[in-house]
Amino acid sequence: MKKTMLVLLTTVLAASAAGCSGDAGQQSQPSGSVQDAAKSNPSAGNGAKVELQFWDMVWGPPEYIDTAKALVDQFNSENPNIKVSYQSTPWNNWYQTFTSAIAAGTAPDISTGAGYQAFQFSQMGAILPIDDVVDELKKNGDDFLPNTVDLMKYDNHYVALPWAIDIRVPYYRKDLFQQAGVTPPKTWEELRAAAKKLSGNGKYGMVMPGDTGGTHYVFSLMLNNNGGLFNKDKKVDFLNSRNVEAVQLLADMVKDGSINPAGAGFTGDDATKSFGQGDAAIIIKNPGFPAQLPELKDKIGLMDPLTGPHGEKGTIYWINNIMLYKQSKHPQEAKQFMKWWSQNNKALWTKGHVTQLPVKKSFTEDPYFKDDPERKEILEKWIPIGKTTAYPYPAVFPELNEIEGEGVMQTLTQEIMLGKDPKAIMDKANQTMKSIMKEK
Amino acid sequence: MGPTTKRRFELLPVYYLLPSLFLVLLINFYPFVSGLLYSLSDGSLIQQGTFVGIVNYLRLFTMPDFIHSLYFSAIFAFFSVIGSYVIGLGLAVLLNKDIPGRGFFRVALLVPWIVPSIVSIISWRWMLGAQEGLVNTFLVWLGFKPILFLANEQWAIFTVCLIKIWRSFPFMMISCLAGLQSIDQSLYESASMDGAGRWQSFVHITLPQLKSITVVCWILMTIWSFNDFDTIWLLTQGGPANATENLIILAYKYTFTKNDVGTGSAMAIVVLIILMTLATLFLRNQNKSQD
Repeated sequence: MKKTMLVLLTTVLAASAAGCSGDAGQQSQPSGSVQDAAKSNPSAGNGAKVELQFWDMVWGPPEYIDTAKALVDQFNSENPNIKVSYQSTPWNNWYQTFTSAIAAGTAPDISTGAGYQAFQFSQMGAILPIDDVVDELKKNGDDFLPNTVDLMKYDNHYVALPWAIDIRVPYYRKDLFQQAGVTPPKTWEELRAAAKKLSGNGKYGMVMPGDTGGTHYVFSLMLNNNGGLFNKDKKVDFLNSRNVEAVQLLADMVKDGSINPAGAGFTGDDATKSFGQGDAAIIIKNPGFPAQLPELKDKIGLMDPLTGPHGEKGTIYWINNIMLYKQSKHPQEAKQFMKWWSQNNKALWTKGHVTQLPVKKSFTEDPYFKDDPERKEILEKWIPIGKTTAYPYPAVFPELNEIEGEGVMQTLTQEIMLGKDPKAIMDKANQTMKSIMKEK
Repeated sequence: MGPTTKRRFELLPVYYLLPSLFLVLLINFYPFVSGLLYSLSDGSLIQQGTFVGIVNYLRLFTMPDFIHSLYFSAIFAFFSVIGSYVIGLGLAVLLNKDIPGRGFFRVALLVPWIVPSIVSIISWRWMLGAQEGLVNTFLVWLGFKPILFLANEQWAIFTVCLIKIWRSFPFMMISCLAGLQSIDQSLYESASMDGAGRWQSFVHITLPQLKSITVVCWILMTIWSFNDFDTIWLLTQGGPANATENLIILAYKYTFTKNDVGTGSAMAIVVLIILMTLATLFLRNQNKSQD
């Protein structure tokens, strides 16, 4: 009996161990070249219809998905040898969704993703470089805004095409400013003074959430002051004087009672609610934010870029990706679709109302952008001063996801709101960043 | 009956159990072995990595965030178990008596246990999260200052423990109620005839009689509190400033945010070892006292 049980246990153990290593082992093998993949494609070149899976994140309101589907249908009708299947992918657990699919060998052929996605999965060996696609698009006339396409390089290869810009800009409540007799600030000094004047009786000059949205305030002010987390050689430079000044400004505003201390426990939605209820007068959000509060649309204004104590301007922005996966059995067709999508997706804004902004110069000339004061202002005043979280290093890299995500910067942001000593919390964050970047 | 027949007869029930045993092993054993293997490697979610032995385990005890999470997990589990047991037992004693509306209260008090966590915890968030939330509005009305229940480190620890107790006491209550109903009433009658008061009866009859069920409830609640993800995640996500980060949330962050599956799995295995040790100690203690 004992022997029977032992055999059974050993069999289960061996099977589970083999199953476990089998899955992961499959992923660790380097993928072949585009040519290899094309050769392995049984249908390519023999006249049969190639099927591609396109996973697109939810980038806008419900009409976005309808518009994207219509664009895919248009591509399918123009390219009868390819059938692209559109799958709208929710943001909840997106990372687990993609990693599970990659691990299971069921990754899409092509997908869109946030600022670091292509870099994270490139580091894992799952992304197909697209140098040839970028070269071809550049040869046909470079329609990309400056400082967008070249950010998509990882290990000297283009790993994604840029398709949209996400940026953080400060909005303010015009009615509350008017009631307090305050004009929108133009400098840090004015920001601190205005926020103080707008605070009192349970109201606050500014609301800052404790989630990743709150980290954008810190990033935005550091980059505004021409600081940044790294130096030009990608070494952690978090304790530079410009960053110290930015954190000190926020700490001073907390001390002034100008930032809601409850924000340390707020999500982005809580912050929006607080701003919407008139409990806070300033909030830093994404373009198109006023549309989230339609009843207050006329009471919400976009602030001009602030001038830092050394005369610089800036804010945080991300270039959202569209990328191909090495697991694709049809890389050439996927590239064909990628190029088409990049050139023909203007309707995602004009009909789909994406809140991000386009990376194509020609798209920004459309009346949809030119005739809308908020979009026009962001394109003209804010996009040119946008900087990435890697700034001044000229490209993005995977570790930024951890630094910006639910880790070090989020803790720092919460600690600022808890009124902790700026130097101590920055020293701690600096150590964590060095550990993430594997620096001594 | 010859020896062969006897042996076949003894094995027969085991053969009947084999399909279930296989399923249980598959469901429980496979994730455990996978986790164990991951904890011994330096892989990511999609790459197995290389075998690194117990390096991940050794590293854990040099990591301040792990030490903090271990400490918080212990605090959270301790107060959750004690708090929910005291409230649950108190209500069980009350509901074991013939009080008006007993049936209604027995059902109504189960609500925190029955309502899906996402619904109840988000509701608590709304009530506690902001200074203009329901609870703070009430406190201000009473003349107190608003409390940052989820934004202040100490208050956040108190709040997550309190909500956990609120979610858990119905389980303790229903288990203790079942235990109370199985106590032989003649014990109380004899004690009463010997002049024992209510408190003496409670201490010397009720509590000892409930010991078996108490130990089981404590073990289960310790496991559920140590492993609790949703209460903390939905309330604070481990914040502010990592004050409410328990080992499970830390393991989740290491695995899915830092893509460090080896460290995340090592943390999960450490939790398993801690819980198994605690359960063994509880059960041994119970067996000793029964002997």
